Amino acid sequence: MNRASKQKVTIYLTAFIGIILLLIGVVLSISVGAADIKAQTVLHSFIDWDESKEQVIIRTLRLPRAVIGVLVGASLAVAGALMQAITKNALASPQVFGVNAGASLFVVSSLVLFPGLSSASLVYAAFLGAALGGVIVYSFASGGGMTPVKLALAGMAVHFFLSSLTQGVVLFSDQGKDALYWMVGAINGKSWTHVELMLPWSLGGLILAAALSRSISVLVLGESLAQGLGQKVTQIRILAGLLVIVLAGASVAVAGPVGFVGLIVPHIVKKLVGGDYRRIIPFSALFGALLVVYADILSRFIAYPFESPVGIVTALIGAPFFLYLAKQGRGIKQ
Amino acid sequence: MRITEQTTLNKKRRPLVLLFILTLLLLLLSAVSLGVGAVYISPLDIITDLMGTGASSHAFIIQEYRLPRLYIAMIAGAGLATAGAVLQGILRNPLASPDVIGVTKGAGLAAVIVIVLFPDSPVFWLPVSAFLGAAAAAAALMLFAHKNGVKPATLALIGIALGAIFQAGIEYFMIKFPDDVNSTLLWLAGSLWGRGWEQVWMLLPSVPFAIALWLLSAKLDILNLGDDLAIGLGQKTKQLRYVLLTLSVIIIGMCVAAIGSIGFIGLIAPHVARKLTGSRHKFLLPVSALIGALFLLAADSLGRGLFPPIEIPAGIVTAVIGAPYFLYLLRREGKKA
Repeated sequence: MNRASKQKVTIYLTAFIGIILLLIGVVLSISVGAADIKAQTVLHSFIDWDESKEQVIIRTLRLPRAVIGVLVGASLAVAGALMQAITKNALASPQVFGVNAGASLFVVSSLVLFPGLSSASLVYAAFLGAALGGVIVYSFASGGGMTPVKLALAGMAVHFFLSSLTQGVVLFSDQGKDALYWMVGAINGKSWTHVELMLPWSLGGLILAAALSRSISVLVLGESLAQGLGQKVTQIRILAGLLVIVLAGASVAVAGPVGFVGLIVPHIVKKLVGGDYRRIIPFSALFGALLVVYADILSRFIAYPFESPVGIVTALIGAPFFLYLAKQGRGIKQ
Repeated sequence: MRITEQTTLNKKRRPLVLLFILTLLLLLLSAVSLGVGAVYISPLDIITDLMGTGASSHAFIIQEYRLPRLYIAMIAGAGLATAGAVLQGILRNPLASPDVIGVTKGAGLAAVIVIVLFPDSPVFWLPVSAFLGAAAAAAALMLFAHKNGVKPATLALIGIALGAIFQAGIEYFMIKFPDDVNSTLLWLAGSLWGRGWEQVWMLLPSVPFAIALWLLSAKLDILNLGDDLAIGLGQKTKQLRYVLLTLSVIIIGMCVAAIGSIGFIGLIAPHVARKLTGSRHKFLLPVSALIGALFLLAADSLGRGLFPPIEIPAGIVTAVIGAPYFLYLLRREGKKA
């Protein structure tokens, strides 16, 4: 077997295993929780709808939650992959870039200031905030060449700044506790309306990202080379930036700022399938979904019987990984 | 990103005049701070109350609420700023500060654990546990950084990651024990609200440690010259670093135990001080301390006075002021490079 076909086999195998794991994860996610439901019942409910109590729980609570988990994970991971590609920076991700913090600030402020606002318009608030956070960090980190360290520090400062403002807004509202929970990033208690809210943005963003992946692969090779190959570099960058805002903004609007997904998933994916963005983007979506779905399952146990926000779990998994990336140091160009 | 800016070292500014001016400013701000809040108290009333001659009805508010907060703001601000200046010195990294390297969050997590899990434990456990948390964070940082050859840049990244882990821990306790959410939230942001004489006593022991650091300032200057030169001058650099680090961590632990994880003071104050007086630690440390005290006092007064009767935690105010300044520093560093 030659090298190319060997690689192909690995990729198909990775995709196969990933999909199987995701399916298992979704079924587990539906069956595990305060009321345990047998896996058979879960599977049965997909085929045959009787109005038993379990099935009502599945349809109204567990299934939308699992779907949101998949969507949020896929969106954040792809947003992270796009950011790492256009900034050529190993630490770029929606969280480090202040995108999540900006979206949170805008969502929380609009919840507090305009309580009657429809949840559809929350998404637009999140987009605005995401764009704001990203632009601030980018403009400060890019002065004099953007090193990963500078990006991380600028991102941290902007993150502190924006989340302080968010905390300030929360203080003025009566629903402090709810907002606090949301600010960690949580996907429990979500319903089909949330899925409807998020699905078009997230799915559209993912499809466009996949369509753009070929150009992004060329872009990563270097700007002049990309130009030579007939790519419109600036347009691609702007389009990718917009996709990041849509993907991350939609996730934050529904689930709050779930951290570290966009940072770690693209790195793992690159290790598994290589540096071609035509593969990285779909695989990031798959493994991002995987990460959030399993983190969500874990989140039901760390403070059992209370549910914890999934963001705590992703932070506990993600921060050590960030440590590992920082320790590698040489992998990150100083 | 080197810390020693030779140009500022040579600038002759009269440090004693500077110290005098800063002290004056601090006194002025104190007078304002005592008057500001849900109940406005005029300067005249404050003076008569403090002398004990006034018959104003505000004496109670001043004695029991505003005065201890004033002391806390001054001591904690000065402590955090001194510790920050020393950290920047021993790590030779202008971006090092208790919050960037995750030490404040470590102390915060330990304190939250004590508050939530052992609410009946005696008060002195709070600073002790906060110190232990800060020390654990510092130890973890050194451990990771040591293997990596203590590059300033990696240090900052490791600190951020550690901070995120501790943050997740704090959030976990916040969710698991929702009844205590308000006190933990104050811990996260850092606030002087509801702090009284008890915390003043808790903070006072940090003063001798800060003085000890000041007495070691000549050694800090030598450390700044670089390890080779310092060893040549007969310094045991490694031991010296550990001693200085331990002293700073003790101070940070006490400050965090009293007021929560207030950010940016330990980062900003030394930078401003270095601009004003150069990088000789003999003057840098006291000037930093005064600026830190001013900064925290101003933040607390602002938070109290902006929208009375609602109080904005001082930590939020320091972040809103401090983060843009930090970004400005970062940008300037970038342009220099």
